[in-house]
Formats: sequence, C-alpha cells, structure tokens
Amino acid sequence: MMEWAWLIPAMPAIAFFFLATAGRCLPNWSAIAATGTMAVAFIVFWFVLADWFSMSALPEVKAFGFSFDWIKAGGSTFTWGMVIDPISLVMVGLVTAAALGIQIYTWSYMSHEPRFTWFFAVHSLFAAAMLALVLADNLLLLYIAWELVGICSYLLIGFFYDRRPAAEAAKKAFITTRIGDVGLLIGILLLFAKTGTFELSAIFTMVENGGISETVITAAAVLLFLGAIGKSAQFPLHVWLPDAMEGPTPVSALVHSATMVVAGVYLVARMFPFYEHSESAALMVTLIGAFTAVGAAAIALVVTDIKRILAYSTLTDLGFMLFALGAGGLTAGMFHLLIHGFSKAILFLGAGSISHGSGQTDIRQMGGLWRKMPITAVIFGIGALSLGGVPPFGGFFSKDEVITAVFDGRGWGFMAIALLIGFMKALYMGRVFFAVFLGKLKPENEHAHESSMVMLAPMLVFALLALFGGFLALSYTDGYQGFGYFVFEGTHQHPFHLNKGIAIGSIALAVSGFILAWMAYVQGSLKTEPIIKRFSGVHRVLINKYYVDEVYQWVIDKVVLVFGRFIAFFDRAFINDIGINGTGSIVTTTGRFMRYVQSGKLYTYAMGMIVGFLGLALAWWVS
Amino acid sequence: MPAEVRFDLLWPEFLVAGLAFAIFTLDFFLRPERKNILGWISAIGLLYIIAFTIPFLNDESESLFGGLYRVDDYALFFKVLSMAIGGAVILGSIHYVGKYLTHPGEYYAIILLSVLAMMMMAASGELLTAYLSLELLSFCLYILSGFALHDRKSSEASVKYILLGAFSSGLLLYGIVLMYGAMGTTNFAEMAAFLDGHGEINGRLLIGLTLLVTGLGFKMAAVPFHMWAPDVYEGAPMPITAYIAVGSKVAAFALVLRLFAEGLLPAIDQWNILIAGMAAVTMLFGNVVALAQTNIKRMLAYSSVGQVGFLLMGVASLSTLSSNGLMVHLVGYSATNLAVFFAIIAFYNYTGKEEISDFAGLASRSPFLAAAITISLFSLAGLPFLAGFVTKFYLFSAAAAEDLLWLAGVAMVASLISLYYYLKVARQMYISPATEGEDSTIKVPALLYGLVGVMVIIVILIGLYPEPLVNLIEDATAVILPGGDASALSLR
Repeated sequence: MMEWAWLIPAMPAIAFFFLATAGRCLPNWSAIAATGTMAVAFIVFWFVLADWFSMSALPEVKAFGFSFDWIKAGGSTFTWGMVIDPISLVMVGLVTAAALGIQIYTWSYMSHEPRFTWFFAVHSLFAAAMLALVLADNLLLLYIAWELVGICSYLLIGFFYDRRPAAEAAKKAFITTRIGDVGLLIGILLLFAKTGTFELSAIFTMVENGGISETVITAAAVLLFLGAIGKSAQFPLHVWLPDAMEGPTPVSALVHSATMVVAGVYLVARMFPFYEHSESAALMVTLIGAFTAVGAAAIALVVTDIKRILAYSTLTDLGFMLFALGAGGLTAGMFHLLIHGFSKAILFLGAGSISHGSGQTDIRQMGGLWRKMPITAVIFGIGALSLGGVPPFGGFFSKDEVITAVFDGRGWGFMAIALLIGFMKALYMGRVFFAVFLGKLKPENEHAHESSMVMLAPMLVFALLALFGGFLALSYTDGYQGFGYFVFEGTHQHPFHLNKGIAIGSIALAVSGFILAWMAYVQGSLKTEPIIKRFSGVHRVLINKYYVDEVYQWVIDKVVLVFGRFIAFFDRAFINDIGINGTGSIVTTTGRFMRYVQSGKLYTYAMGMIVGFLGLALAWWVS
Repeated sequence: MPAEVRFDLLWPEFLVAGLAFAIFTLDFFLRPERKNILGWISAIGLLYIIAFTIPFLNDESESLFGGLYRVDDYALFFKVLSMAIGGAVILGSIHYVGKYLTHPGEYYAIILLSVLAMMMMAASGELLTAYLSLELLSFCLYILSGFALHDRKSSEASVKYILLGAFSSGLLLYGIVLMYGAMGTTNFAEMAAFLDGHGEINGRLLIGLTLLVTGLGFKMAAVPFHMWAPDVYEGAPMPITAYIAVGSKVAAFALVLRLFAEGLLPAIDQWNILIAGMAAVTMLFGNVVALAQTNIKRMLAYSSVGQVGFLLMGVASLSTLSSNGLMVHLVGYSATNLAVFFAIIAFYNYTGKEEISDFAGLASRSPFLAAAITISLFSLAGLPFLAGFVTKFYLFSAAAAEDLLWLAGVAMVASLISLYYYLKVARQMYISPATEGEDSTIKVPALLYGLVGVMVIIVILIGLYPEPLVNLIEDATAVILPGGDASALSLR
C-alpha cells in the first residue's frame, strides 16, 4: 500500500477541482464529495500505517520514499515525490483525522451558509496542500505546498469577506506570514545553491557527513525557522493568529489550531538534523518558543473572547512544542503536536458549539451553560483538562515529555520556565471552562440549546482521542513500544519515562492551576478585581497585547509607507515615464514604420528575397 | 544496402495516400449536403493511421532506396506529429468548410496529400527527395490558400504565394544544383563526409548553400524571406492559415534539422553565426512588427515569424541539447497555435469578424473562448506553467550552453515584446466592453469546443509535466545526432 500514499493528498485535490468547476451545478454534492474523498484519504492512511509497521520491523528502514522526475534542467532534476516516515505519518494521521471530523461538523455548522460549496472546495484544497506539505520529499514541493496552505488560510479567514474585520484579518495573516516565507525561500535557495539539490534525504546526508559548512547549516536553520515563525505564529510574527479567529469556527479548529499552524513546528522537526548540528539555531528555537509561550499564556489569562483565549493558548502550545524541539526533544515535540491537535480541535469545535447554541462569544456573558449543553460541557472539559495537563488525559503525557526533554536538553533554568508555562496553561484552561460552564446561568442565555448530533459526533471522537491519546506514549507490543520508539532522532529510541520529581511537580502545578481558577470563577473566594486593580499597569499591557500591533502599525505608517511613496514617485517618473514608456514608444514607432515595407506589391517581396540572398552571401563571404 | 526494399516500412505513407484518393473518389458519390462526412472520414482515418504508425517507433533505423528515404524514430516522430496536426486541422475545418467553402472533397483530400508531403520531408535522406516532397507540400498549400473561390483576398493570397513560391523553389533548386556541383552528392551523410574532408566553404558551395538557405528560409518564413506570410495568412481560409502556420513550419523544420544535423554539422563553425544572425533579425522583426497589427490573423502571422526566429536559434546552436529543445518547442508551438486558431475559427464562424477590436468583451460573450485564447497567447509569450515556458526554457538554455548567450538574450527581449501585443488581445477580451448590438453569447459547436479544450489541456500538460514528451524526443534526436554522448542526451 505504500506506493498508494500519493492518493492521500490527491483525493482532496480531486475534490477541490470537482467542487471548483462543477460544484456550482451540484450544490448538494459538495459536502459529500469533500467528505467522501477525505474519508478515502483517511482510510489509505491506515493502510499505509499498517504497512509501515509491517515493514519497519527491518531495523535499517528509516523512511520510505518514491518520486518521479518532473523537469530536468540546468544540471539538476526536479522531482515530485513523497517521503513516508514516522514524522510524516504522525502529521498525515492528524491532518486526515482532523479534516475529516471537522468537515462532518461543518455539515451542520455551516448549513445555512449560501457559499457552502466554496467553503468545502477551499477546505479540500487546504487539506490537499497540507498533506502534500507533510509528505513532500523535497524542499521545492514543500515550499509550493507551504504557499498553497497560506493561500487557503487567507481565503478561509476571509470567508465572510463582506465583514470588514474578517477581510482585514485575512490580509494581515497573509502579509505577516509572507514575511516569514521570504526567510524560508531564501533558506531553501541557499541550500540549493550549496548542495545543488532540493532532495531532503540528499541534503541530510551532506549535513551528516560534513558536506555543508557549519556556517551554512546555521544560516539555513535560522532562515528556515523564520518560515516556521511566520506559519506557527511565533514572536515577533504572532500578531496574525488571534485576528485569524474572524474566520468560521471549523476553520479555526482545523487550520488555525490543529494543522496549518503546526506546519512551522513540522518544518523544524523535519529539518531536525540542522538543529542538531547547529547549537545556536537550536538555542534560538528554544528561546523564541519559550518567550512566545510565556507571553501568549499571560495574554490568554486576561482576554475574554472565547476564541481569542483559545488562539493565545494555541500560541502558547506552539511555543511549547518549539521549546521542546529546540531542546532536542523531537519525540516530545511531535507528541505534543499530536495531542494538542486533537485537544485543541475539541476546544474550538466546542467553542463553535457554544456560540452556535447560545449566540455568545464573550466568556463574561456566559456561565452555567452546562445545564443547557451538557454534552458540549463534558467534551470541552476533556479538552481543557487535557491541555491543562491533568492526568490521565493526553495532554499530561505530552506536557510531561516536553518538560522532561527540556530538562534533559537545557537544564534546570529552562525546566522552571516549562513548569511555569504548564501552570499557566492549567490556569487559563480552568478559567475558560469554569467561566463558561459553571456558575449561574444568565437570563439572556435561557434559550441556549445543545448542538446537533452531526456536530457532537466528531467532537466525541476527538474527545476520546484526547482522553486516551496519552497512552500512545506507552509500550504495548514488540511492534509498538511507545511513541519514543516510533518518532525519534537519529538512533536514539527511548521508552516513555517519568521523571518522578518533574511529574509530581507538574501535576501539583496543573491541579493547583485548576483549583485557583475554580476559586476565582466558581467559588468566588479569590476575587479577580483587586488583583486587576493592584496590577492595573500589567493588565493594560496584557489586554493590549504588549502594544505589538500598535508598534507595527506605527512602523508601517511612518516608515514603510513613507519609503513606499518615495519609491512610487521614482517608479512613476523615471522607470515608468522615461524607461518603460520611452522604450515602448520607440518599439511601437519602429513597428509602425516597418509595417510600410509590407507594401503588398509582389515585386517588392521578390526584391526583398534577392536582397536578402545577396546580403546573406556577402555576409558569409566576408566572415 | 539491403537487397530488397522493405516496403512494409512505408505503410503509413501508403495509407495516407490511399486515404486521400479514397476521399477524392467518395466525393463523386456523395450528395453535396452529405459531404461533411468526408471531413470525419479523413480525420478518423488519420487517427487510425497514427495508431497504426506508433508501433513502428522501435529504435529501428532503415535507409530505403539507397539512402533517399529514411525510416527511423526521428522521421516517425514527425510523421505522427504531422498526421496529428493534419487531423486536428481537418476536424477544425468541418464547420468552417460547411459555412464558407465549396468542394469539401478536394479540400480534405488535398490536406491529406499535404500531410503525406510533410511525412516525406521528415524522412528524406537527400536533397532531391526533400525538394520533391517540399514541392508537393507547397502545391497543396497554394491550392488550399486560394480555396475561398469567391473571396478576392483569398485568390490574391494564392497567386502571391504561387509566384513567390515558384521563385523561391527556383532558388532552392539552383542551390541544390550548385551544391551537387561542388560536392558531387546530394545525400546528407555523404555531404557530411565531404565537409569533413574539405573544411572550407567557398566559391560555388557558398553560393549554393546560401541559395538553399534562402529557399528554405522562404518556406519557414524567416526574415527577410517572410514577406509572403502576412498576406497569405490574412487571405487564406482560416483553418488553412492555421495549417500553414503550424504544419508547414513543422515540416520545414523537420527537414532543416535533419539536413543541418546529418549533412552540414561538420561545418557548423562556418554557418552558425549566419543562422544566428538570421534568427536574431527574424525574432526581433517579427515581434516588433506584430505590435502594429490590427488584424488578428496578421498579428499571428508576424508572431509566427517571430517564433521562427526562436526555432532558428535551435538550428544555429545545433547540438543534441538544442535539437531536443527545438523539437519540444515545435510540439508546444503547434498545440498552442492550434488552440488559438481553433478558438478564432469558432469566433469567426459565429461573427464573421477577424479584427482584434472585434474581440472586445469576448470574456462575457464566451468565457471559454476568451480563457482559451488567453492561455494560449500567454503560452506563446512563454509564461510559466504553460507549454511555451518550458519549451522556450529548453531552447534558450540550449543556446546559452552553446555559447550563444547573446542570442538567448535577444530571444528574451523578443519574448518580452511579444507579451505586449498578446496582452493587448487579452485586454480587449477582458477589459473592453462589447460593442453595442454585438454582445450576444457566442455559440461554440461541441466539436470546436472539444478541440480547443484538448489543445489547451495539451498546452497545460506540457507546461506542467514535459518529461514524457522530452523522453520521446530524446529518442528521436539520438537518430540524427548519434554522436551526442549519453550525458548530453538528457536536457542538462
């Protein structure tokens, strides 16, 4: 089945072409076409996975790949191919499962939307591009897919393009991530210039045996990481992700939490040999990840829009994953990526279900909603406990792996930061859950109702995954000895191990985070107002997201646009009027003049031929 | 030389000739209103012959009649291509013939005969056979371009074409005579052997070769022997314009490439600069004059003159690499031009107009035609992900690899100029509103719809995934340039 893996990205791509061309004529088929093809991709994934386990028993097998030549030019061959290894399998599993579940959820959630078909078309294109991205065996294809998911993200955020904030957010997301993409592109071209190939495996071989100098490795690692910073919304390019919540909720769940935003993390994991060989680049990954995680977690504690809380929590978790990767914890980072994908999907779908059922998006307007929507409450609770890191939920295992990896890789100081992040995660997860579901039901929410089964069913499946996903870390049979035997760096397979001290500390912190939140938002023994008043300066800074947006706006207004106006003037006056139009009018005038040679008279033509012949002969004779 | 002539290798030619005579004959028995079926028979017949010919592609190389006639992968590639072009043009003609022309039987049969001539040109192994097949092709085209009997422009085109064609044929024949006088042979391989022995080209050989280049330059419409082209393109019936633009060019280059590769390669240092100069002048002249055209057929005529410049570049930098590039470009150019012409035929069949300004508002009158024309014109200009980009890329990089970097530079400038007038058409279709009273939806018959669609798909396919075509062409070039080493065989 391995060689059938190309079907995985091809299926949603087919759905896209079908919906984009014929979809308008067959509106009732759009959901079926999109979901059906996605389901096929999902099933193929399982066969490929089974194949992997049956074949990877051979110890020397680390990856399967196949490709075909696309264009041969200029000394190099460009191929289209895919690589199947544990990292891509984790990503494919996450993306196909999440896309499938979320498409089913969308049937009900978007059913009143007139541009239902278009939504599914772009959704399918996104899935195809994302799957191509994670399966790509060369940087060129990866870059193409990378840009395609960017475009889809733009289209999906701006799906309600008649609403100004949505249109603005789409533009912001696109432009901001483009800044990182430039770094990525330069990094890819730098590697191409130094190695003459885009093939990942060939590049890694050169990295391993010293075919590329240390400086180039570091430069490429940093440049590629710029792409990751943009896509995974890390500081300082994080500003687009909270605004991206203007898109429909299923989009936030799929694109802006579970899959697309982890593309940056995936890129770092995929290019892991680079970070192993460049300590400074790895340190940069760690620092940016930790910094973003702490900063975003602090904001998540104060904002009140439910989707924005979740958005900042996504920032935190993405930072957390990079934190682990930068500390050398490939297994931990990928494991947290997987568990986070499922947990965050539940939370977003839950948030969609809440606002669908109650019409509210601000958590201050909610409270006591569990009476009206008990199933949503349970499912949302599972997601919150999982990401809050309470055992035995999945998030506990992955968080613990990350903290252990950070401790192993970077020592005590960074471990303390990781523990702090874990505590803040528990705190804001507790806050959002308690504020929404417990406490008194507000009278304006009396009409709130539970969502339909079509919406709840996928949420339930993801909830089970978040609930039990953590046990993937453990060993069961010889074929599967735990996640650490599946995804690992180099030859360093390792079983799941609990560092008892860290585990107890992190459990204590997680539980106390939830208890504090409970005291503040349910029991009321901890008053939030005095704290806010006491630290009003800090609170203002947090509410205003450290004024990063304002700073960027100022820079754009005062520096970029002023410079742009100068360039525009130069372009108008010199390039356009003198350069282009000048040359253009010379050429057209020549063209008009030469047209007169074409008189229509036969003897002129014959004369032309004779003159041409004599000219040729003379030129030849002389030369 | 084998003792007996292997006539079985000539089956494709026999079948095409037979099909042509069958059409002539059938024509007697059909009532006038039923004669459309002749077009279908010719096209489907050609399709069968293509299917029959493809198995011949098996790396076998045979010389028949003592080297006069060659059957090898190179010839077979061009035979299939010629038949495909002929079949496409016939299908594209069916509605046009029904509406504007008389005598469909002769029309289709003559096209079939010209296909035969094209097949023979690709297979000729010496100058006189080449000359004879060239004349057969020319005679067919003379008749076809005057086929709109009641249209004075068409008759004028035909007369001009005949007179100038006869003139050029005279020059060509005289050139062959002089070359025979100088070298004592007209066989390509023996010419190469002669040139290997006596390096210098001078005296009557020089005059003879120049005359040969002049004559062939006329057939290809290279500057300064191109002047017939715009008048004939404009006057000839529209499908025939397409046929002249595509078919005659493919055939001429099939011959030229074999002649230069098999016969004149040893003296490449003496003629390449001349051909390069001709290429540069041709591409610049064609594209610059195209800027000033207002009639779409004339514009395409000049644009195809410009394309000849690009193709000549492949001859000037003759190597395995560049002949691959040249052939890839010929295929891409054929598909693209046929797409444009079929779309314009569909437009003309409905409106009867052919000025560029008449295309105003086409995007709303027929989004399909507008999109097809735009894609094809962009491909001609060489925009990425379309055939034109890939093929020009191969061609230009081959020239650059053979130390003709300046020529590749000129070609880029020429491409840039061409983008301007192609965009002018796109602007008419997409931005200018349709004129009052002429904004009805254009009905495109299913046949033309399909033909345009297929051609556009080919254009996009070649642009996205040229590898299979390139592999096929590498086999074909290996025949005429066996000296190329293995690494040069792949497009580096």
